[in-house]
Amino acid sequence: MRRTYTTTPLIEVSGLVKQYGSVQALAGLDLQVMPGEIYGLLGPNGAGKTTAIKILTGLVEPTSGWAKVAGFDPGEDPIKAKSKIGYVAENPILYESLSPRDFFEFVASIRKIDQSAANQMVTHLAEAFDMSQFFDSPIATLSMGMKQKVALIASLFHQPSVLLLDEPLNGLDARSSHIVKDLISLHAQRGGAVLFSTHIMEVAEHICTRIGIIYRGRVITEGTFDQLRSRTGGKGETLEEVFLKLTNEEAEVADTIKTLREAFYKDEIK
Amino acid sequence: MKLSEAWHLSRIPYGEVAYKSIIQTRSGMWWGSFGRSDPDKESRGDVEMAERALKIAKIDKLVVGVVSIITSIIPFASVFTQPPPPKLIIPISLSLAIAFSFIMLYAVQTLSSFVSAESSALLSTLPLTKDDFALITLLSFVRSVDYMVVGSIVSQVTLVAYLTTSPLATLLMLVASSMNVVFAVSIALLFSRLFYRNLLGGGRSKVSTALRLVFLLAWGLLVMGAGILFSIAWYVMPNLEKALLSLDSNPFFSILFPFSAGMTVASPVYPQATLSVTLAFAAMVGYIALAVVAGRWSLGVTMRISQGTGFRIARKRAEEFLVKVRSPLFGYVMKDLRISSGNPATAFFFALPAFEAVIVSLLMMGRAMLRASTILVATTMGGVVCLFMPLGLLNAEGMGLEYTKTLPVKIGRIVKSKALISTATYVPVPLALLGMAFMKSLTSPLAILIPFVTVLSIASASIIEIRLFLGFVAKRKIDTLIHDLGRLIVGVIIALIPEVAYVTTYLMSTDHLSAILIMGGVATAELAMASYLLRRS
Repeated sequence: MRRTYTTTPLIEVSGLVKQYGSVQALAGLDLQVMPGEIYGLLGPNGAGKTTAIKILTGLVEPTSGWAKVAGFDPGEDPIKAKSKIGYVAENPILYESLSPRDFFEFVASIRKIDQSAANQMVTHLAEAFDMSQFFDSPIATLSMGMKQKVALIASLFHQPSVLLLDEPLNGLDARSSHIVKDLISLHAQRGGAVLFSTHIMEVAEHICTRIGIIYRGRVITEGTFDQLRSRTGGKGETLEEVFLKLTNEEAEVADTIKTLREAFYKDEIK
Repeated sequence: MKLSEAWHLSRIPYGEVAYKSIIQTRSGMWWGSFGRSDPDKESRGDVEMAERALKIAKIDKLVVGVVSIITSIIPFASVFTQPPPPKLIIPISLSLAIAFSFIMLYAVQTLSSFVSAESSALLSTLPLTKDDFALITLLSFVRSVDYMVVGSIVSQVTLVAYLTTSPLATLLMLVASSMNVVFAVSIALLFSRLFYRNLLGGGRSKVSTALRLVFLLAWGLLVMGAGILFSIAWYVMPNLEKALLSLDSNPFFSILFPFSAGMTVASPVYPQATLSVTLAFAAMVGYIALAVVAGRWSLGVTMRISQGTGFRIARKRAEEFLVKVRSPLFGYVMKDLRISSGNPATAFFFALPAFEAVIVSLLMMGRAMLRASTILVATTMGGVVCLFMPLGLLNAEGMGLEYTKTLPVKIGRIVKSKALISTATYVPVPLALLGMAFMKSLTSPLAILIPFVTVLSIASASIIEIRLFLGFVAKRKIDTLIHDLGRLIVGVIIALIPEVAYVTTYLMSTDHLSAILIMGGVATAELAMASYLLRRS
């Protein structure tokens, strides 16, 4: 049973615009994520998901508009905002010559985590992600999935109130993927907020409490999965089908598939 | 596959090597924008970053090629300027030694990315035969060092041909120069492999820590040796000449490379049927055999890398997952020390303290009495070397800086961490001077306080230098170079102001006590100002 929490959003974004030269990555993005919510940000490549998350982490400054994390503006009050955030990047960039142990020590020191709490959290998470064989190896030698686990542990062990996860399941094996999904749900159940960007529709369908479809830099629609499905009018539709309809890509995808079939399997089609 | 085709394709793995090497060692600076963000910069994205890295690699290679030609030529200058001109043995030997050090030091920085074997990963997915794949990898390896290898060989051979007009001497020089680069590249490859293997091993056992320390010390000694060779070649020349002129009584030089090569190459022009020349010829035959072995070993390593069998990663299972939490500042310092020592391109900064102590001791050694002016000069030289450290530490951050930006860490803490390390590298200077003060008499006992007071100005210079580096976003490489040089000059000026205050006060009052008090006051004021700027970060 999901608990209910205060009505103050933990993540708030309003009129966010981000211009990269002549390219507009965000065109007035608005969204709110309440405590206890897992908000799935879905959108085609280049829709602005990563840019939105980077603005929330303070990595990128918006051209206009504002963002707040746990009540703090990451641009104006970056230290307070960042102390509330656990962030996993789409392609985690870590200190490659450090081992996971060195890296966790660095992050725990910067985040001023209590010694015993750090040991407890790191031990639990490292055991859960089966890291014993890789714990003292340089990060440069780890597989992509293992690097993702390192980034995930580093994002969780200070028990942040906000999780910003950009494709967090990239490269993870089934076991770890299952654990991460459980951890995300647990985080929300404990009153945290999660902004979750993914391309895996099944994952979004199963763990997100609310889904926002981002297209050309703005949220074109949002709601629970059932609400989104009712908007497209398709009973029994999968999230993938709903997504393609909402982003007006259904017809385009059908055309593309037809063209490809004709190109590759010309003889069989005849 | 045709050689030309393989050469063309080798651009892909070479590009990857160059990109990784640049991005690992310089991204902290050239794409940092730590303090503020630049909307234009953000739009560049990975593609432009890769293009920039490749352009930088190309310029680097060109500059290094030109420098390798200059460094190979410099030892021959004495033939034209020194009356009477020295025998060619000395310029040839020195030219080979300098080219060797230069090629080796540069190659280690590039090849550490090459030995990781990931550079060929993209090609391995293409339908290429094993032999073609190996050839392409080998050529990509050649591309990493081609300009400087060709530059040094051509300049040395051309000069010998011009100076001797002897076809035999020219041919012998070609053999000696080629051997020299084979040795340099092989040792660079060996060092890169050792470093990478050590890095792959990871762990915190006493043995692996000790091994890493030994490696760093060896590396530091090499850098120091090369540095001394570069900077004091002119001082070395007369002593070498003296030693080499008495070769008959000292056959050791005859069998030691590169002197054996120098003697062999010069022998057709200065024919002497002495024991030394015979020994040098015999040694050269041995060195040729060794060069063949080294060349084959390098080829073998390159092939193994191309086949992905370069390294076996032996992982050690962790018994526990305990971590040590430090204060944020020392957490950052530990991280800085670990990443800097884990990268061959930045590890040599750890040789700086030893380098500084040696410079200072060398300067003092010949003096009967320690004067305040001598201490001032030694302090300045040690301090200036140490001011390169902040730039190195920032470069060592590499791409990992992107992660740090997501942590709740103030710029001030990053500056403090790096300033602390930079200042610590200066500490051997006052200690070496103190040691000297015990051995030699001082014109004023107060003069020994000069290097200790300078610790304060080095700390201020480091803080301001790093703060200035962090707040800068470069749009073009030339801007970065100008900016970097500018910041370094600012650092040097800050470090020098208290010393200037000392000199001025002393000249006006001829009183060491007043001079040292004024110097201390100025240095403290500088540190207070730097701390204020830091608090505002």
